[in-house]
This record gives sequence, structure tokens and C-alpha cells, in this order.
Amino acid sequence: MATTLRRLSRVLGWWLIICIASLPVWGILFGLWPDEDTSIADLSRLLAYQGLGLSLWQSMLSALFSSLLSLYLAFLIYSQYQSHSKVGGRWLEKYLSPLLSLPHLAIALGLVFLFSESGVFFVNGDIGLPRKGLSTFIMAIIIKEVPFFLLILIAVGRQLPLHGWLLQGRALGYDTSTSWWLLVFPNILKHMRLALLAASAYTLSVVDMNLLVGPNIPELFAVSVYRWQGSFSEGDQALGFWANLLLLVLLGVSIIFLYCHEKLVIKVLQHWAVLGRRIRLGFVDTLGRVWLPASGLLILLMVLVFTLWSLGFNWHSDTFSLRNLNTQLWQDEWLFVALPLQNALLIGVSAAILGILFTLLALELQRQKGRYLPDYIWLLGILLPQLSMVLGWQVSHIWLEGGYHSGWVVFAHLPFTFGYAYLVLKGPFQSIDANYELIAASFGYSPWQRWWKIRFRLLLPAILSAFAIAFAVSIAQYIPTLMIGAGRVTTITTEAVAIGTGSQQDVAALYILLQSLLPLAAFIMAALLSSRIAGPKHSTLGISRC
Amino acid sequence: MLSIKNCLIESETWQIKFPDIQLDLDDLLVIIGPSGIGKSTFLHWLLGNQPKHVNISGQIFIDGQDVSQLTVENRHIGLLMQDVFLFPHLSVEDNISFALPKSPDFHSKKQRRTKSHSMLEQINLEHLSKRYPQSLSGGERSRVGLVRALANQPKIMLLDEPFAALDPSNREKIGKWTFQQLAHQAIPSIMVTHDLNDIPTSAKQLNLADYYQSKDTQ
Repeated sequence: MATTLRRLSRVLGWWLIICIASLPVWGILFGLWPDEDTSIADLSRLLAYQGLGLSLWQSMLSALFSSLLSLYLAFLIYSQYQSHSKVGGRWLEKYLSPLLSLPHLAIALGLVFLFSESGVFFVNGDIGLPRKGLSTFIMAIIIKEVPFFLLILIAVGRQLPLHGWLLQGRALGYDTSTSWWLLVFPNILKHMRLALLAASAYTLSVVDMNLLVGPNIPELFAVSVYRWQGSFSEGDQALGFWANLLLLVLLGVSIIFLYCHEKLVIKVLQHWAVLGRRIRLGFVDTLGRVWLPASGLLILLMVLVFTLWSLGFNWHSDTFSLRNLNTQLWQDEWLFVALPLQNALLIGVSAAILGILFTLLALELQRQKGRYLPDYIWLLGILLPQLSMVLGWQVSHIWLEGGYHSGWVVFAHLPFTFGYAYLVLKGPFQSIDANYELIAASFGYSPWQRWWKIRFRLLLPAILSAFAIAFAVSIAQYIPTLMIGAGRVTTITTEAVAIGTGSQQDVAALYILLQSLLPLAAFIMAALLSSRIAGPKHSTLGISRC
Repeated sequence: MLSIKNCLIESETWQIKFPDIQLDLDDLLVIIGPSGIGKSTFLHWLLGNQPKHVNISGQIFIDGQDVSQLTVENRHIGLLMQDVFLFPHLSVEDNISFALPKSPDFHSKKQRRTKSHSMLEQINLEHLSKRYPQSLSGGERSRVGLVRALANQPKIMLLDEPFAALDPSNREKIGKWTFQQLAHQAIPSIMVTHDLNDIPTSAKQLNLADYYQSKDTQ
């Protein structure tokens, strides 16, 4: 009887996690189901749309350029920090947490507040970043993606004998920098495929950042897709259908491009290795050393400037002084901000907890089966364009006549929190020595007791980190919240985007500050609790794409 | 020729004061001693890879030149370890090409590959040239590792338990072959080993336990 029950619960468990993991695919498929009115003529209309070529080109350029540049910068930083023994990987990981916790939106708006033509550093000047433009958008993406790639590099680096390769390289007469690029980079690049794909898929389909700082004429393609999909006009919705398909084609093109890039770079580096060429990067190496401290400073400045704006400080005014700081705006806005804040908290905590629970279930079932499925199966939520997925979910949601409440929004956040939790927990989960549980079994503990008292306990620091990251991911969700909640479920992020696209800088600063504080609080709590609990410390292999 | 003078390994609780060491062209010095006494640490210090857990001081002279302050890449010292760390993205031939020093004789990719191939041919391993490290057996890896290290024309060779990962039958065969290659190229070598069976009869020996001093008893 007990065996039958165990078998039944295993089958149910597999069904459950397959359903969760396949939600992104269902979303894409439902999104591609055409309306009766959709015709090829609409495709011709889309292709003839004014500015489409430039919009597609800029979208691809921003997705590929920002992802690749972030990867190269992250590798440069990683090689510099690893080569200097006093600040190794562990230190790097700790330093990265605050950088990771700041949402994309905050970085985008922070750049505008600091460096745009009317920002802090260029108050009366004509120079500076455009308020809305491709350069601002790409720069914000790069600042946010570099820590993401760094954490993946740290995790990958742990699995490779980097020290041995580098030592051999140096013993054969090559300097450290050359050894990193000729010997380590080709081997690490293959492990970065999914991360590169995730970063470019994100940039390709991100809407909130685009609305805040992306170019206007023409707008990037994701914004057009979103606008057509959300329109009440049948003509626009038909355009939205074909545009969604085109977005997936763009993803396919970027996969091919990234694959060719990998092959080409490895080929070139192999060629140089055979020729015994030395790589001299000169000042670029210095960039690797100063990037993180500079990013840290930048983020501090951003938080400071948001705080000052929300307290009524305005440097455009000649008469303003620090003595005039006040909390009037906070008091006025609290009435409006309380509900979105409460919703964000509730949805974030629920989606993060569920994401972690399903991740643990997926990992445990695979462990029992004795074989782990390829990562991309579990990470589809972060590898496919969000816009296409959510459209399919929205269609299904309407078809199912689901109501507009937080439960559906939590469900829409789940594939993302699940994906990131899986990314964070897989390494620590696999690294736990099975002999611990074997010893517990010899003491008479049941399988469930062993799991709870040994495996879960050892995983707890990693679970806390996974919670912080999944929570940050949920807080930052814009498109799933807006499209599934249909505007009736508001969160701090949906409000921040709505206000950020307007002209009230002080209110925008307040909302963005609150949006940043939530994940930061989760990261700090996770760090404090983790430091009190022993366990595998591979916990921060992950990565908020906030 | 290698000369090591005034070498002292020092930790908080113990120290090892080495005798001065002088190695001629085809000499092999084998360093033995209990686990954790500092054999590998000494080897890595010679290579230029400064250990962090102890202090080491002393002077290293290669062909009369003091190399003590030089970085690893400028010392011209080869290293063969238990794991030879063949680079997985390069074929056997390309691993060896990578190690070839810059020279007008083999400047182009084709010339360097030809040179690597000929080095493999000399030891009847040319059939491995296009293969990748992952597909080699432990013994093949050890031999390719030594060929790669020799291709770099090192002035000194360091061997850190180079045969520890091999099975007993291969161990003796590969060991013999390695010492023949080193003697043939007249490269002074220092080997660290746990296994006394690895030591050829002609080798000099240094037992670190003889020079170990506890600071408490001083």
C-alpha cells in the first residue's frame, strides 16, 4: 500500500512540474493561434508598416550587442578579480548582491535622472544621455546584465579546473591575461549559452524599460507588439498576431547569431593559441578592475537621487536648499501607493514560495529517477520572449473566464520565479553528498525525515537566496501583471511604469525607490539569515532580471 | 643548470631549512617526505606560484641567472602534474603547438602543427594528433602532457606526483619513458612523489622530514 501511494505521488508530482515547466510553451502556442479574421493581407500590412525595418534592426542590435558586451565585460571583471588573490570569488558574490537587487527600471530611470540632458550632471547642458533613446536603453541593460553574467561565470568557474589551466598556461610562457582569453574563455563560452540566450530574449521582448527609456521614433519592436496586442481594434490585433510571430523569428535569428558567434570566437581563439599569440588589452584590463566599484557608486548615487527627489529636492530650482527637504510627497502618495505595495508583497512572496516548492519537487523527482533533464527544459520561462508567452496566457485566461485577481497574477509570475529558483538551487542541490542521507537511513530515519532533517537543512541558505531572487523577479514583473491582471491588479511596478512615463519626476522617484527597496530588503534578510545557517554556499548562482 | 640557495619554508609552528641544491643538465632530484610537509609547496614556489599558507624565501638560479623575482611565465620552468591539464578545446596537436616558443622556424599555423606532429611522431604518438584530450586514456594524457611541456623547451622540469593517477602497469612504463625523455633532452628535473617505486636508481633524493623543525622545540 505504501509503495503504491509513493508511486502515485511520484506520478502526480511529475505531472505537476511538467505542467508548470511547460506553461511557457503553452503560452507561445496559444499566442500563435490566429483569430478567424487574421489573414495574409495583415502580414503585408505589418511588413509595410512605417519604420518597421529600423525598429527590427534596433531591437536585434540592442538585444545582441548588450548581451555580448555584458558577457565580455563580465568575463574581464571575473578574470581580473580571480587573478588577484585577495578578492576571490566569494567576495565577488557578496559584493554583487546589492547590484543584483536593483531592478532594471530603477537603473534605467537612475541613468536618466543622473546623466540625461536635464539630469543631475547636465542640468543646463545639451550633452548627456537622451531621455528616451537606444543608447540609454542599451546602457541600462548592460549595467544590469553584467552582474547577472558575473554570477553565472562564478558558478561555471567552480566546475572547471581554471587554476590548473592558468598555471599550465603561465608555465608555458603566457601571461595571465593571455591565458584567461586563450585557455579559459573558449571553454567557458559554451557554458554561457543559456545565459546569453536568456539575456537577449529578455532585451528583445522587454516592454517596461522600453516605455521608460527606449527610443520613440521608431519605438523598439517589443513596444509595437505590446501596443498592437493590447489594442481594441481588430486590425491592430491582427498586426499583433503577425508581430508576435515575427518576434519569435527574431529570437530564432538571435539564437543562430549567438551560435555562430560562439563558433567563430572559439575558432579565432584556437587559431591564436596555435600561433602562440599574446593578447594585450592594456587599458581595457583596467576597465575590468574599476567596473564594479564604479557600478556600486553609480547605484548609490541613483538611490540617493531618488530619495532626494521624493523628499522634494529639485536642483532645477535656484532657490532650493537641503533645509527644504520634506515628506509631503510621501504623505500625499501613501494613500495611492499602499495597495500596489501590498499587492506586490503578497504576489511576490506567494510566487517566490511556489517557485521554490516546485523547483524542489522537480529536483527531487529527477534525483529519484537518477537522471537530470537538460536545463533548458526547466528554464523556458526565462529563455523565451515574455511578450509572446503572456499573450498566450492572456488568451487562455479570457477563454477560461478567469477573474482578475491576484491568484492569476501569481500563476503568471510562477514560470519566472520557478526558472530563477531552479537556476539558483540546482547546483547546491546536486552538490549535497547522498551519503549524509544514507547515514541517516542507517539510524532508522524514514525517507521523508531524511529529506527534511538533512537535505532541506543543508539547502536552507541556498533556499533563502533563491527566495530573495525569485521575490525580486516577481516584484519586477510588468507585462504578466498588466496583461493577466488587466489593470485591475496593480503593483508597485505597474504604477512605477505608468508614472515613470509621465512628467512627474518626484512621484516617479518615490515609486521607483519603493520598487527598489522591496528586493533589497529581501536580499538583506536572506543574507542575514544565511550567515546564521551553515550549508553549501553555492547559493547565489543566480540572478534577478528585475 | 639549477641552483637553489638559502631556501626556507616557514609556517607559524614549523620550518624547513633546505640544504643548498645544485642540479646539472641531466640530474633528477626526487623529493620525498610525509603528506603535508611542503613538497608540492616547494615545487610551486620554484615555478613562481607563491603559496599563501606559508612563507618561502631563498634564491633560485637557472644557468647562473637569478630568477627568484620573475613571474611564472618568465622562468622557463616546465610543470607536469598528476592531472596534466591538457586544454580541452584544443586537439593534441594544437595543445603542443600552443606550447611551442615563438621562433622564425615555426611561425605559421601550418609550420607549428607540422612541428607538433613531428614531435608526436618521434615517440610514436602521431595517431593521437587530431584527437581531443577527453578521448585519451590516462597514460596517453600523461605522455602528451610531457611532450607538451618539452615542446616549450623548458630549462628545468618539475614533476608533481606525475604518475599518481596511473594504474600500476602503466605507471612503471610511463615513468621509465618520462625519465628517458628528460635525460635525452638533458633537462634538470625535480620530482615530488609518495611512491618510492617511482624513483629511478640514478636519482638524487631529498627527504624533507630530515630538515623539518618544530618551532616549539627550538
